[in-house]
Amino acid sequence: MSTPTATAPDRTVSLREVGPARRGTRPDEVVIALSPAFAGHFTKTIVDVPHAEVLRQLMAGIEEQGVTARLVRVLETADLAAIAHTAARMSGSGISVGILSRGTTMIHQKDLPRLSNLELFPQSPLLDAPVFRMIGSNAAQYAKGEHPQPVPTRNDQMARPRWQAKAALLHLKEFDCIEPGRGPVEVEAVFGPGTAG
Amino acid sequence: MTSTRPRQSLRTEILESRPVNLDGFVEEWPEKGLVAMESDFDPAPSIRVQDGRVVELDGTERADFDFMDTFIADHAIDVASAEASVAIPSAEIARMLIDPGVSRGDVLAVSRGLTPAKILDVVKLMNVVEIMQGMQKMRARRTPANQGHSTSARDNPIQVAADAAEGALRGFAELETTLGVVRYAPLVAIALQVGGQVGRGGVLTQCALEEATELELGMRGITAYAETISIYGTESVFIDGDDTPWSKSFLAAAYASRGIKMRFTSGTGSEVQMGNAEGKSMLYLEIRCILMAKGAGVQGLQNGSISCIGVPGAVPGGLRAVAAENLVASMVDLECASGNDQSFSHSAMRRTARAMPQMLPGTDFVCSGYSSVPNADNMFAGSNFDTDDFDDWNTIQRDFQVDGGLRHVREDEILAARNKAARALQAVFAHLDLPSITDDEVEAATYANSSNDYPLRDVLADLKAAQSVMDREVTGLDLVKALESAGFHDVAENLLTVLRQRVSGDLLQTSAVLTADFTPLSAINDPNDYAGPGTGYRLSGERWEQLKKLRHVTSASNPETEVG
Amino acid sequence: MGAREGGPPQGRLVVGVDIGNSTTEACLAAVAPDGSISYLATDLTRTTGVKGTPDNTAGALAAIRGALARAGLGAADVDAVLLNEATPVISGLAMETITETIITESTMIGHNPATPGGEGLGVGTTVAMAELPGQPPGTPVVCVVPAGADFDDVAAAVNAAVAAGVDVVAAVLAGDDAVLVTNRLHRPIPVVDEVAAVERVPLGMLAAVEVAPPGRTIRTLSNSYGLATVFGLDPAQTRQVSPVARALTGNRSAVVVRTPSGDVTDRRIPVGELVLRGAGKTLRVDVDAGAEAIMDTVARVQPLDDADGEPGTHVGGMLAQVRDTMADVMDVAGQPAVPVAEIAIRDVLAVDTFVPAEVRGGLAGEVALENAVALAAMVRTSRSRMQLVADRVSEQLGAAARIGGVEGEMAVGGALTTPGVDRPVAVLDLGGGSTDAALLTRDGECTAVHVAGAGELVTKLVDSELALDDREVAEEVKRFPLAKVESFFHLRHEDGTVQFVDQPLPPHVFARVVVLTPEGPAPVPTRHGLDHVRRVRREAKRRVFVVNALRALRQVAPGGNLRALDFVVLLGGSALDFEIPDLVADALAPYGVVCGTGNVLGTEGPRTAVAAGLVRAHAARPVECPTG
Repeated sequence: MSTPTATAPDRTVSLREVGPARRGTRPDEVVIALSPAFAGHFTKTIVDVPHAEVLRQLMAGIEEQGVTARLVRVLETADLAAIAHTAARMSGSGISVGILSRGTTMIHQKDLPRLSNLELFPQSPLLDAPVFRMIGSNAAQYAKGEHPQPVPTRNDQMARPRWQAKAALLHLKEFDCIEPGRGPVEVEAVFGPGTAG
Repeated sequence: MTSTRPRQSLRTEILESRPVNLDGFVEEWPEKGLVAMESDFDPAPSIRVQDGRVVELDGTERADFDFMDTFIADHAIDVASAEASVAIPSAEIARMLIDPGVSRGDVLAVSRGLTPAKILDVVKLMNVVEIMQGMQKMRARRTPANQGHSTSARDNPIQVAADAAEGALRGFAELETTLGVVRYAPLVAIALQVGGQVGRGGVLTQCALEEATELELGMRGITAYAETISIYGTESVFIDGDDTPWSKSFLAAAYASRGIKMRFTSGTGSEVQMGNAEGKSMLYLEIRCILMAKGAGVQGLQNGSISCIGVPGAVPGGLRAVAAENLVASMVDLECASGNDQSFSHSAMRRTARAMPQMLPGTDFVCSGYSSVPNADNMFAGSNFDTDDFDDWNTIQRDFQVDGGLRHVREDEILAARNKAARALQAVFAHLDLPSITDDEVEAATYANSSNDYPLRDVLADLKAAQSVMDREVTGLDLVKALESAGFHDVAENLLTVLRQRVSGDLLQTSAVLTADFTPLSAINDPNDYAGPGTGYRLSGERWEQLKKLRHVTSASNPETEVG
Repeated sequence: MGAREGGPPQGRLVVGVDIGNSTTEACLAAVAPDGSISYLATDLTRTTGVKGTPDNTAGALAAIRGALARAGLGAADVDAVLLNEATPVISGLAMETITETIITESTMIGHNPATPGGEGLGVGTTVAMAELPGQPPGTPVVCVVPAGADFDDVAAAVNAAVAAGVDVVAAVLAGDDAVLVTNRLHRPIPVVDEVAAVERVPLGMLAAVEVAPPGRTIRTLSNSYGLATVFGLDPAQTRQVSPVARALTGNRSAVVVRTPSGDVTDRRIPVGELVLRGAGKTLRVDVDAGAEAIMDTVARVQPLDDADGEPGTHVGGMLAQVRDTMADVMDVAGQPAVPVAEIAIRDVLAVDTFVPAEVRGGLAGEVALENAVALAAMVRTSRSRMQLVADRVSEQLGAAARIGGVEGEMAVGGALTTPGVDRPVAVLDLGGGSTDAALLTRDGECTAVHVAGAGELVTKLVDSELALDDREVAEEVKRFPLAKVESFFHLRHEDGTVQFVDQPLPPHVFARVVVLTPEGPAPVPTRHGLDHVRRVRREAKRRVFVVNALRALRQVAPGGNLRALDFVVLLGGSALDFEIPDLVADALAPYGVVCGTGNVLGTEGPRTAVAAGLVRAHAARPVECPTG
C-alpha cells in the first residue's frame, strides 16, 4: 500500500449543499455519509487529520477502483450506524461509508440491520490518511461484488488515557450540531488551494 | 511549520516530552454531563414516602420516574428510615463517615435510607483524605485483598495456568481471565482454576465472557465467581444494551441459585462516553448504579470507572470522584472491587497516585484486576499495574506499612509453583483427552515471562477440544477427578473444597474470599471494626513480616549479604 | 442402538474395541451359545495417546463405558473385552520448495496490480518524476514516481511536462494511484502502480510499459518477439529475454526495463537426496527431481525397508523426527530402550505441489508459484504393546480383556457386515495419517498394508497452495463444500445452484467465498475465486487419496492386479468426506470394481468396522479357554 503523503499540503474543503439527498440508481456508486459537524463545525479528526484530506482519500480510494462517490450529509443524527445505514439505503450499490467528525468510520450495506456493519473502525485516533484510502477502496470493491480483505484494524492500549475523554467531548459537540427534522442533503465537495504546482 | 513557531525554552522542551503530556485532558461541560461530581444540573435531594412507597425521589414524582428511579425507589431505599435519613443534614452524615466514634453499623443505619442525590450531596462535602478516612471504616471486610488478571495474548492455557499459580502465590485472592479468541474459553478457564489452586488453595477464579457462557462455566464449577455483569446509570444506556435493571437482577439470581459468588460492574464516565448522560454528573449517575446493584440484592460491585477511566481521568477532580464512588459502594454495604484495573496513564507517577485512595485505606479488592501477566498479554486491554510493577508495589506496601494484598515471593518458590501448575494442567488435559501439553511447554511455563516465551500451540486442535469440553459437559468435579488420578492429590483437594462452598453458600456473603485454610472471610465473620487509631485491620505479626521482605534487603547482622 | 426390550440380552456380552490412530471405537454385542450375535450399542471417542501404546487405556475404557451406558448395562455384565492387535503407526509430513524465481537488475515488474491506469504500450527512457521538467522535448520518457507522491501532484507534474513538450509515454507509481492519475491527465498514457520498491527501478534505461483493457491480458510484453520488436533485439538476445515474456503471460499490465544483463531465472534449489533401501537395493534420488522421480524410485525398492533424508533439510528432519517419536513411544520404563536405528521408515509418498512465494529481486512483491514437493512418511513397528493395554483395561473394568485379532483382518470382517458385500473383499481405511488396505480372499486369507499419506497431507496441500497459512481454515476447506455469498439473502453453491436464506447472513461473509461448516458459512481468506479453491481442494484429495487407494490396493491385490478385486469397501473418517469416496470410486470404476462407502452392521456407516469384526471373530470361535 502506498503512503499518501504525510506532509499533506494544507488543502481545504468546503461542502456545498445541492438539495435533498435522493436514492441513487447507478450500481457503481458508493455514498459517503458525513456527520452533522464534519467539514463544518469541525475541520479535522481527533488526531488532526484535516477533513479535506479524509474526504480526498476516501474518494480517491473509491475512484481508483473505478467506482463513483456521492456525498450526503446527515443532519438529524450523529449516531454512526444510523448515518451509515441511511446512506446505504440511498446508495445505488447499497454500499456506504459513514464517518463522524472525530474520524470514526463504518462501511455499511443496505440489507444489514442498522446496528450491524461490513467493517467498523472504532478507534478514531488510529485512523490516518492511508487507512481512509483503504476504507474507500474496500467500500468500492464491495460495491463491485468483490471480496476485499478487511482493512487491518489496529489497537493501542494507551489510546484510552490519551483520547477517551476527547472522543467523548467531540461526540457531545457533534450531537449539539444535530438539526432535528432535517433530512439528509446532497453535498458537493469543493477542494480549496494547496495543490502543489 | 516549525519555523513559524515561537522559540521554546529548553525546560519546556523537557516538560513537553514527559509521559504525562501524552495523557488527554479536557475542560468540563456540565450541561452534557462531562463533569466529575460538582454540577448544577444534578437534582437536589428529596424523598416522600406514602403508604410504604416512595412517591417522590430527588425532585421527581413517581409518575415521572424512569425505570432507574422506579427500581431504586422500590428496591434500594429503606422506606421506613428514608424520610428521617434524608432529613439529616449532609454535613452531619459526612462527619459520621469520618468520625471514628461512629461505627460502621451506625452509618449503615442511615445510608440505607438515602437517595442518590442525597448520597452525592454527602460525598461532595468530602475531600480526598476524608474519602480515604471514610473508606478505611466503611470497607465491608476487615482484611483488604487484591484481584489479578491472568490472560494470554495467544490464549495459551499453559501460560494462564502458570501465571495463575504465580499470582495466587503472590497473594491475589481472586483471579480473572478473558479471551482473545472466545472459543478458547473452556480450556483457559480450566487452566486458570487448576493453576490458581496450585498456587494457593482457595483462590477464586472467573472468566469474563458473554453472559450466557459465563453463567454456564460458573454453573459447571469450572469457574468460581462472576464479575463482568455491567450496569449503567441512565435508562437510555441500559436500553441501548438491550437490558433493564430487572434483567440484570434475574441474572444475579441465577448465580445465587447455584451458590456462586457474583458482583456487578459499573463506573463513572460510561454514560457520558456513550453520549447519554442526560446532563447529569458522572458521580451522580454512578451512585444510581450503586443503588441499583444494592436493590438487585447482589453482594458487591466492581467500580472505580473501570474501562472509562480515561474520562474522569481527564476532567478536574475526576480521581476524587472515582475515590468517592468506591466509598459510596462501601457505605451502602456492598463489597467493593475498586478499579485500578485499566491502562490509565502514560505517567508512572500518575498511575501510582491514582491507586493511593484505594491502597492506603484498603478496599475489599484494591485492584479489580492487577495484571498478573505483562500488559502486552492483558486481554482486558491493559491494567494500571502489571507484572513489571510487582516489586514497586511490594516496596510501597513496606514503605507505608499498608496491605495491598501482595507479597514478595522467592524465585525458587515461584518456579516450583509455575512448574507444578503446568504439570497439573498437563495431567488434566491428558485425563480429559485434550490436546497434549508437552514437557517443552511445561519447561517454558516454568521460566516464561510472556506468551512469546512459549512454544506455539496447535490452535485448531485446542479449539476443537474446547468445544468438546462443552459438548461432553465437563464439570469442576471432572477436574478434581483428573487431578486426583494423576497424583495431584493436594490440588484436587483444594479444588473440591472450593466447589463445596457453593453448597454451603458462604461465598454469597458480602465480600467473601477464602483463606489458605479455606475459611470464608466475609463481612459476616471478618467485619470491619475500625474505630479509630489502634483498631481495625492493622498490618502486624506474621503478615507484616511477610511484607518486610523484598527482592534485595541488606542484612543487618551481616551487611555483606542480603536477607530473603 | 439401545437395549432391547424384554429383559437382559441373551448370551454372553462381549465388547469389541478398535483403537485407531485418531478414534477409539467400541461395539457391544451379546453372543448366544449358538454363535448368533445381537449387536447392542456402539460408541466412539478420541484415541488417547499414540495407537498401540499403554496410553490407549483411558480412551478404550471411555468407549467401552460409553457403549455400556447406551445399552443400559454395567461393566459387571461384560464377559470379555476384545482388543485389536494394533501396532503404532506414526506419520510425518514435510515440504521442500524446489524452485526459486529471481529477477536480476530489476528487469521486470509483473505483479499484476488490481487497478492499473490507461491502456496501450509506452516505450521510453526511465526518468524520475523530479527530473521531468528538464527533459528535452520529443524524446519518449517513462516517468518513475516515488512513494508518498500525491496523485494530484503527480498528475499536475505530468500535465505540466507534457505541456512543455516532454513526451511522457507511460508512468510507474509506488502508490495505488494509477486510475486516479490517469483520470487527471490531459493526454492518456498507460500507468502501472503499486510498485513498492519503485526506487530500485533503474533510471536512464529503455523501458516498456503495457496496460491491457479491463478483462484482457497484455499482448506485446508477454510475447518474446514483441519484446524483440520493442527493444530491437537480435535472435540471441531474444532467446535470453524469453523467460521474461513467459513470466508476464496472463498479466493485465507489466513493465520491462532493458538493462545490460537483466534476467528472470527459474533456479532449482538443491534440497538433498532421499536414500531409499529395499528389495536388496539402496537407491538415491534428489528430492528436487520431483514427486514422479521419487515415487518411481520408491516403486523400485518395494517393499521398502527404510529411508533417510539429508540432515538439515525439512525432509531429513521429518524422517528423523518420525523415528525419534516412535522410539519415544516404544520406550518402556524398566526395559531397554528401542534403538532408533531399529525403527524403519516403511513407506513414503511424494506429491508435487506449489507454494506461492515472493520473487527474489522483485520490485512490487511479485509472487511466483514455486514448485515444491510434499512428502509423507510412515513408520511402524512390530512390537505391539496391546497386551499391556488389555491388562490395564481388564484391571480397571473388572472384566476379562484380551487381544481378539489383527486389525486388518478384523476390518475386513466388519466390512462384511455391510449389506451387499461378499468375499473376496478389500477394505480401504482412509484415515488421517495413513491409508490402509486389507484383502480377504475367498479362502479366508487376509493380507494388509499401510501406506503413508492421508487426510492430514490433504490439509497441508490445501493450506500451502492457497497460501492460507491457517491449518484450521485449510481443514474446513477440505471438509466442507464451498459457496459464494452473493447477497445477504442468497448464496451460490459450488455446483452453481442458488440458495436463498430467511435470516440475513452475517456481515463478515458478505461477498466472500465461504466454506459451509455445520456452524454456518465461514469465510476463506483468499483472493482466489471459488472455482480455484475448489480445484485446489479436489486436486489435493486426488493426489493423496486416489493415488494411495490405487497404490495400497495394488499391494494387496492378487498379482497386483486391480481387476482381481471384486468388492472394495471404504472405511475410516475420510470415508465420510463428501467427495473422497466418489473420487476413489471413479478411479476404480475402469477396473470393474464395486466400490462404495461401508455401512457396518447396516447402520454404522464406515465406522466401527474393526470393533464389529472383533465381535464376529469371537463368535465364530465357539469355545475358548482363557489364555494365561
